[in-house]
Amino acid sequence: MSSTPHTIAPGEHALDHGYAHHPGGIIRWITTTNHKDIGTMYLWFSFTMFIVGGLMAMTIRAELFKPGLQIVNPEFFNSLTTLHGLIMIFGALMPGAVGFANWMIPMQIGAPDMAFARMNNWSFWLLPPAALLLILSLFVPGGAAAGGWTLYPPLTVQAGMGMDLTIFAIHIMGASSIMGSINIITTILNLRAPGMTLMKMPMLCWAWLITAYLLLAVMPVLAGAVTMLLTDRHFGTSFFNAAGGGDPVLFQHVFWFFGHPEVYIIILPAFGIISEIIPTFSRKPLFGYASMVYALSAIAILSFLVWSHHMFTTGLPTAGILFFMYATMLIAVPTGVKVFNWLATMWKGAISLEAPMLFAIGFLFLFTVGGFTGLVLAIQPIDVQFQDTYYVVAHFHYVMVAGTLFAFFGGIYYWIPKWTGHMYDEKLAKIHFWLSFIFFNITFFPMHFLGLAGMPRRIPDYAQQFADWNMIVSIGAFGFGLSNLVFLYVVVKCIRGGEKAPAKPWEGGSTLEWTLPSPAPYHTFETPPVVQ
Amino acid sequence: MVPTRPRSADPARLRAVNLRTAAILFTIALVFFAGIIVSHYLGGVAAGMSVLGIAVVLYLVIAIGRNVGSGK
Repeated sequence: MSSTPHTIAPGEHALDHGYAHHPGGIIRWITTTNHKDIGTMYLWFSFTMFIVGGLMAMTIRAELFKPGLQIVNPEFFNSLTTLHGLIMIFGALMPGAVGFANWMIPMQIGAPDMAFARMNNWSFWLLPPAALLLILSLFVPGGAAAGGWTLYPPLTVQAGMGMDLTIFAIHIMGASSIMGSINIITTILNLRAPGMTLMKMPMLCWAWLITAYLLLAVMPVLAGAVTMLLTDRHFGTSFFNAAGGGDPVLFQHVFWFFGHPEVYIIILPAFGIISEIIPTFSRKPLFGYASMVYALSAIAILSFLVWSHHMFTTGLPTAGILFFMYATMLIAVPTGVKVFNWLATMWKGAISLEAPMLFAIGFLFLFTVGGFTGLVLAIQPIDVQFQDTYYVVAHFHYVMVAGTLFAFFGGIYYWIPKWTGHMYDEKLAKIHFWLSFIFFNITFFPMHFLGLAGMPRRIPDYAQQFADWNMIVSIGAFGFGLSNLVFLYVVVKCIRGGEKAPAKPWEGGSTLEWTLPSPAPYHTFETPPVVQ
Repeated sequence: MVPTRPRSADPARLRAVNLRTAAILFTIALVFFAGIIVSHYLGGVAAGMSVLGIAVVLYLVIAIGRNVGSGK
């Protein structure tokens, strides 16, 4: 049993195992319109960007290993922190989630492919040039954007040519995301198999449906904001340029109207993945399916009402502060519903601890820590003290890394037998989990202490009093970075061969993809299955 | 539960439905993109009035146009 309360009638699936009529080599990947190929490309692109962003993080941690300046100059350090954020969010986490969507949504709703297959190809192929622009901005006169991933003016109005490349990259990635969202929503609304009502859909599909609506609403806002930034820089407007009568704080309002829902855009697909894994390895249906759907929707709606909690120190009126404080705390309710339901699903289940379940439990534990520190930051008098300290860095890495990234790792181990037709090396995958779990906490837990002690973020040098914890954090970061080599080895080994995976490697799996052989044929569900 | 909107067996109809859904979604994105710039350029009230006005005019044009087109 899995997250969906439905049973599957054995349908006559039109299965085409042949790849022969498709071009081979690089041309296959450039011209493909197949959702599985495109999903694979998204996932590899995401991993590549994860490595690039990770190398930037390693450089940051090497610089911060001890007080004083030793490896990079302060300007380059600022560029590194900026690009690390942009690359991880727009290059690694979002495309990773879209990779899962491409692979799994058509198979889970019984569709033959995405609704707009050619647009799907285009959505992906916009990403590499955008990423290249971001990385190349490091080498142009004036260097890359260095004002933080939030791109606040006036720094970004005054910055050099690297900022223009960043704005262009964001436009391209935004266009890619909007096309992807349109594709996902259309696929889910129009291509579901007969009998697959919305309230029978697997939770991953629900999570992505809501995420796609969020993306559609906020990516254009970000695009609008950076367009205004561009016209301020080059066309004489003064939207945000205080020298011309503009208001820099206005940018913060517009940016965070995008930025806060963006956090949920990244975490909701992770919720979907976890909601697939936990029931499967607990051998029970998901507890409270309907309430999970409503909780997802509530989180998405509330995410539009809390943006100013990122701006508590900008001088908001008291009524505004109170509204955003209470609205932020309110998000804990639907989030709590989800955590409760995951725990209730596990309660008295026949739990087995394969790697996907280990990552799901790791996610549950660490994401909850990140959620609680978020509640602390929601309290304005406390937030004023913690603003721009390492406490904030610790909080969002607990949500983004231990939340989304752990869910991605779990999801990859969960579905890789279906993708490759081989079982992964369980022992190595478990080693990967424990290395990730231990080094993640060594890296990010002490950051709470540093933040509480007042260490500001985005600085290349710091006072002697912070030296010990910084050294420990850096050691943890190198360990966490290296642990990903184990992951890469497990994945490559699984792709190249290994024990043959059955159609349904996990006895608890009951969604439509498990009715297909492993590896999933190139074309699936051309004749819709019947869902009863 | 009764199946809601099962996949259409007619590819042409399915394609038309998909295109209509995509057009609606694209319009939402376009309104958000243009809206955020226009509202800052003209000011919130003027932009709001403009959006409302354009929506009413568009509705009338489309509604009347469909009626005229169908020969009613």
